[in-house]
Amino acid sequence: MFKMIKYAAAAAFVTTLFLTAASAQSTTGTVNMSGTVSKFVEINSGGAVTLTGNSGGGITTNGTANNPLAVVINLGELGPSNTNSFVTASVPLKLRSNAAYVMSMVATVTSSGTTSNEILASDIGFGLSAPSRTGVGVNTTGTDTNNTAGDPTLPANGAINATSGRFEFTATRSNLSAFSTSTTALSGSAIMNAVPRSNANGLNVPAIFAVKPQFYENGTTTVAVTFTVTAP
Amino acid sequence: MKKSTFSIPILFCLLFIGGLGSVFAQAFDISSGGLPTITGALGGSVTGSSSTTTNLSVTINFGEVSPKNTNNIVKVVVPIAVRSTSPYKVTATVTGSTNTNPQAIQRTDIGFGANNMHSMGGLLARNCDESPHLFATPFSNDPAGNVMIAANGRVAYLSTLNNVATSTTILSGPELSFLTAARLSNNGYIFNAIFTITPQFYASGTANLTITFTISSGPNVPC
Repeated sequence: MFKMIKYAAAAAFVTTLFLTAASAQSTTGTVNMSGTVSKFVEINSGGAVTLTGNSGGGITTNGTANNPLAVVINLGELGPSNTNSFVTASVPLKLRSNAAYVMSMVATVTSSGTTSNEILASDIGFGLSAPSRTGVGVNTTGTDTNNTAGDPTLPANGAINATSGRFEFTATRSNLSAFSTSTTALSGSAIMNAVPRSNANGLNVPAIFAVKPQFYENGTTTVAVTFTVTAP
Repeated sequence: MKKSTFSIPILFCLLFIGGLGSVFAQAFDISSGGLPTITGALGGSVTGSSSTTTNLSVTINFGEVSPKNTNNIVKVVVPIAVRSTSPYKVTATVTGSTNTNPQAIQRTDIGFGANNMHSMGGLLARNCDESPHLFATPFSNDPAGNVMIAANGRVAYLSTLNNVATSTTILSGPELSFLTAARLSNNGYIFNAIFTITPQFYASGTANLTITFTISSGPNVPC
C-alpha cells in the first residue's frame, strides 16, 4: 500500500515537472541579424607602363595589374640629343569603390640644376586620358569628372612660348606644377556594383607623363607622384 | 482499508494532473539548440544561449561586409532544438531590410540553409522508422559550400533569405518526442540553421533583418 502511494507521488511529481517545464515552451524563435557596409576605395596598378620617345632609360619597376601601384621609371635623356618630340610614360591606374570617390595627386620635382633652365615641375606634362568603366560588375552607368586636360602631348595642351622659346604645357592642370599640393585629378560616382573583391574589373585610367626634350640645364631630376583615392 | 480505497482517488489525481498537463503543455516547442558560432567576420559577433532549454533568441552581427573584410565569407551556424508529440513542420519568415538601392545588401545576398538534424540522444527523443525528417528544397545545404557567381558578377547561393520572404516550410517530419514536448534536454532533435554573407562592393549602409522560426502541426506522416 505504502509503495503504491510512493509511486503515485513520484508520478505526480514527474507530471508536475512536465507542467513546470511546459510553461517555458514556445512555438516560435527569432534570429536578428545586421551587417555594416563601410565606404571602400582602392587604387592599384592597371597594368604595364608604356614608355615611348625615350633615349636611354627604361622602366625600372613595372606595374602589375591589380597589385599595389609602385612604378619606377627612368625617362632617360631629356636634353636635345633626344630628338623625339616627347618622352611619354603612360601609367595605367585601376580604381574601385562602392561609393563616390575622389582621386587626388601630389607631385614633388627635384632637379640638381641651379638656374631657371633646370627641369621644373611645369616642364613635366601630366594628364589623365578618358577613364573607362567596363567589365562585369562595374557600374557602367556611373560618371567621372576628369579634372586634368587629358593627354599633355595633345597640341591643344602645350606650345612653344613665343617670348621665351621654351615649350610649355599651358592647359589647366596639364603639368605637375598644378599638383604641388594635393589636388583633385579625377572624381566620380561609385565604380563597382555589388560584386566580391575577387572580381578583377574596375575603372581604368591611364596617367600620362610627358617631357619635351629641350636645352635644359644639365643634371638630374627626380619626380615623385602620389595618387590618393578617398570616399568623401 | 482496502487497496482500492486508496487506488481510486490516487488514479483520479493522476488523471486530473495528467489532464492539466494536456491542457497546459503544447504539442510543439522550439528553443535554442546550443551556442551559435561565427567565422570570417571582421568586427562581427553572435550571441545566443548554450542551453537547449532556453528560448531561441539569437543576435547576429555580420560586422563589416564591404571589401574591407578580406575573408571569403562570413558564416554563422545557429543550432535550433525542436520538440513535438505529433508530426510537425518548421517554417521560417524574414522581415526587414528591403533596400531600395539594388547595390545595397538584399535578402538574396544572405545565404540560408539547414542541415545536421540529429537526436538530442535522450530516452525521450523519439526515433521514427517510417518517416524521415526532411529539409525542404532548396534549404538542405550549407550555403558556404555552395557559393556561385551570377552573370552580373554578384554572389549567389542555392537558397537565401529571399526564399523565406513569406512563411515557408524548411523542415518537416514525424513526432520528435516521447510523451511530452515540454522543454527538456533529452526529448527532441537539433538542427543547424546556417547564414552566410560574402563581403562585396555593396552600397554603403546597414542592413537589419529578423528571421522567425515557427514549429506547428505538419503533414500527417507515420512514425
